[in-house]
Amino acid sequence: MSTPRDIAGHGIKACCAAGYGSDAVALLLGTSYHPGGLPLTRRLARALALNPGSAILDVASGTGRTALVLAAEYDCTVHGLDLGTAQIEQARRAAAEAGLDATVTFQQADAEHLPIPDGSFDAVVCECAFCTFPDKNQAAAEFARVLKPGGWLGLTDITVTDEGLPEELTTLTAWIACIADARSIDGYQAILSTAGLGVERVEDHGDALTRMIDQIEARLGLLAMTAPADLEAAGADPTRIRHYTRLVREAATAGIIGYTLMTARKPISPTRPRHDAQVTEP
Amino acid sequence: MTTQRETRNEVFIEYTKSICPVCKVVVDAEVNIRQDKVYLRKRCRDHGPFEALVYSDAKAYLESGKYNKPGTIPLATQTEIVDGCPSDCGLCPAHKQHACLGIIEVNTNCNLDCPICFAGSGHQPDGYSITVEQCARMLDVFVEAEGEPEVVMLSGGEPTIHKNILEFIDLAQARPIKVVNLNTNGIRLASDRKFVQALAERNRIEGKTVNIYLQFDGFNERTHLQIRGKDLRERKRRALDNCAEFGLSVTLVAAIERDLNDHEVGEIVRYGIDHPAVRSVVFQPVTHSGRHLEFDPLTRLTNPDVIRFLVDQCPDWFRADDFFPVPCCFPTCRSITYLLVDKSNGETTVVPIPRLINLDDYLDYVTNRVLPDVQVRAALETLWSASATMGGPATTAGLETTAAELECTSCGIDLPAAVKDLDDHAFMIVIQDFQDPYTLNVKQLMKCCVEEITPDGHLIPFCAYNSVGYREQVRSRMSGVEVADVVPNATGIQELLTTSAHGTKIAGSPTSGAARSAHGTGQTNLGMPAVRT
Repeated sequence: MSTPRDIAGHGIKACCAAGYGSDAVALLLGTSYHPGGLPLTRRLARALALNPGSAILDVASGTGRTALVLAAEYDCTVHGLDLGTAQIEQARRAAAEAGLDATVTFQQADAEHLPIPDGSFDAVVCECAFCTFPDKNQAAAEFARVLKPGGWLGLTDITVTDEGLPEELTTLTAWIACIADARSIDGYQAILSTAGLGVERVEDHGDALTRMIDQIEARLGLLAMTAPADLEAAGADPTRIRHYTRLVREAATAGIIGYTLMTARKPISPTRPRHDAQVTEP
Repeated sequence: MTTQRETRNEVFIEYTKSICPVCKVVVDAEVNIRQDKVYLRKRCRDHGPFEALVYSDAKAYLESGKYNKPGTIPLATQTEIVDGCPSDCGLCPAHKQHACLGIIEVNTNCNLDCPICFAGSGHQPDGYSITVEQCARMLDVFVEAEGEPEVVMLSGGEPTIHKNILEFIDLAQARPIKVVNLNTNGIRLASDRKFVQALAERNRIEGKTVNIYLQFDGFNERTHLQIRGKDLRERKRRALDNCAEFGLSVTLVAAIERDLNDHEVGEIVRYGIDHPAVRSVVFQPVTHSGRHLEFDPLTRLTNPDVIRFLVDQCPDWFRADDFFPVPCCFPTCRSITYLLVDKSNGETTVVPIPRLINLDDYLDYVTNRVLPDVQVRAALETLWSASATMGGPATTAGLETTAAELECTSCGIDLPAAVKDLDDHAFMIVIQDFQDPYTLNVKQLMKCCVEEITPDGHLIPFCAYNSVGYREQVRSRMSGVEVADVVPNATGIQELLTTSAHGTKIAGSPTSGAARSAHGTGQTNLGMPAVRT
């Protein structure tokens, strides 16, 4: 059977962006598009040594919630990038409504080809999106390129064990749910290290994943209760979605899938990017 | 040479005041965390050290601090600050919160003599009943303090056997009080259909609600015999069916005791969800004030234990953090969840509302730096409150606003009007741990929002009323018969206890009052310089 890895890279990314922009996903995920929600975003922010005025790049910024929180609570300027035009428009509206459009800006862009000059940002954040990028090495190299020397990368993402996933979770539907191309913690460390970013912190937040599954199932239950026709119109079949959420829950309970917060730092003095995948434990 | 140093086996987190459970003298107390559980410890000069479990989840205890909502100042207080908490009730101007719920105990008599009764009621010749005039005055005091109170609870004794009970409801409804909660064992509701009809008529008055707060402890015969002294299962069933028939909504109220009915909590929820009259369930770990079975203060049930039982017994429906701490009182006193329940196609779907809306974004009063939508916050505050009553106007409005927030306006799909009628699908579960003379912590008492309204016009925090000695004082004054201070029937102090005429435990001989300390109330904290010259 064909897995997402067989499909051309750009097709996947566009598909993911469209997926996250779709009514069905918006219905099921609500305003929180990543496990852990705002509390985990805040935890990530605290790990990034942000100062008032720090410039942050939010890669896969979605509807802009993280960008607005970072700007409002940490007094930073934030530039958000997303592949989906609908999300960009929505994020811009949200920034304007919050009166933050001077410090929070959004742009449509591809994470593997950032339209950003070298050394522009104090921090790059990327929440539950890195796992969906087909060329992770290229994306990581781009993160490293746009960071200032000494700048921080903050990731929260799905992690898997080295044994990999049950077959059914490697399909395109699962890809949109951030799962299919997730790597192990060691795998991510190797990718970041290759890009010249030194991993500083690795935290397990597996609970956030099961909570998100609970949340998706709850929203599905609410919609099935109040708006079954809309659910159908959005192309969301409760039985099929429950089938996937159950699979993910089982995998999460068994420890096959986890959720991890990682920070990595660009060296203060310029060094050549490392081309070996040797990783030392932080 | 290395010196061996010893580390304490506990984390010291609070210093506060409590009382000696035997002589009721005010003593200093400390709160410590040991093996992920929270304990309160104190020492009386005359009766020695006491320790009790107050919360069996230390992490939840500490984290709930941020849900502590700034209190609302009552419109009127009834006493002055003289000796400090808990000697100045009440309410005194130092009290941190207004009354979400006022309780009027209309009598001390009851048609049952339950082995467990925090009021120590029963078939007793030496009790009292309030008059219509007294009830009117008590309601007036409540209105004076609250303006437009959401809820008054009529309790006892057994309020349905008071000859003026319907008149009392009328008095409450003639005032700007929206909900009357009738706290009953259900015996009269099971047999007197005319009475049920009279209550239902009062429930139909525009803007007014009468809710039945029905004692309901489980389904096992043993549970009934141990807690109530009688098998009341058939009468509970008939009371509920009568309420359903006449259109009264019911809260099932279960007193939960360890190793007695803690295995029945899941079934009580399922039964409530299935019964057309039931809109909510309240679980109360048995309050070890008044009359109760012997218990060990170190292993007593607390809110997190009840939540664990619910999660274990309904794993498909609940996880522990579906139960969210209530901000109006101290958040460790009470936890609530709301469920959306759908019963179609022969299947029951249950969705806890806390999974649909991130309560943390709205009810974190300390660490949230982005001001949440004030309207949604206000709605959630009415739901996560001691005054929340299914069918009551504020709770209904709160559910409507919350439902509107759940609508996905951002994604272009407008949920139909059905979502606005979520009140009909909503079901409330409350878990409330009352303090007893062992666990009493003035920190919680000072922010208590559940007040006993006394016939002489005071509002006394419920746990102070039952633990500190106010209940005994009020009963003595009202009945003219001396009432000795009630002491918990606790393991470890059995040699100090005798049984009173009311079946409660008291210290020393039943009439001497010898337990009162020679040091006098408050002497351990007040009236001496910090350093003696």
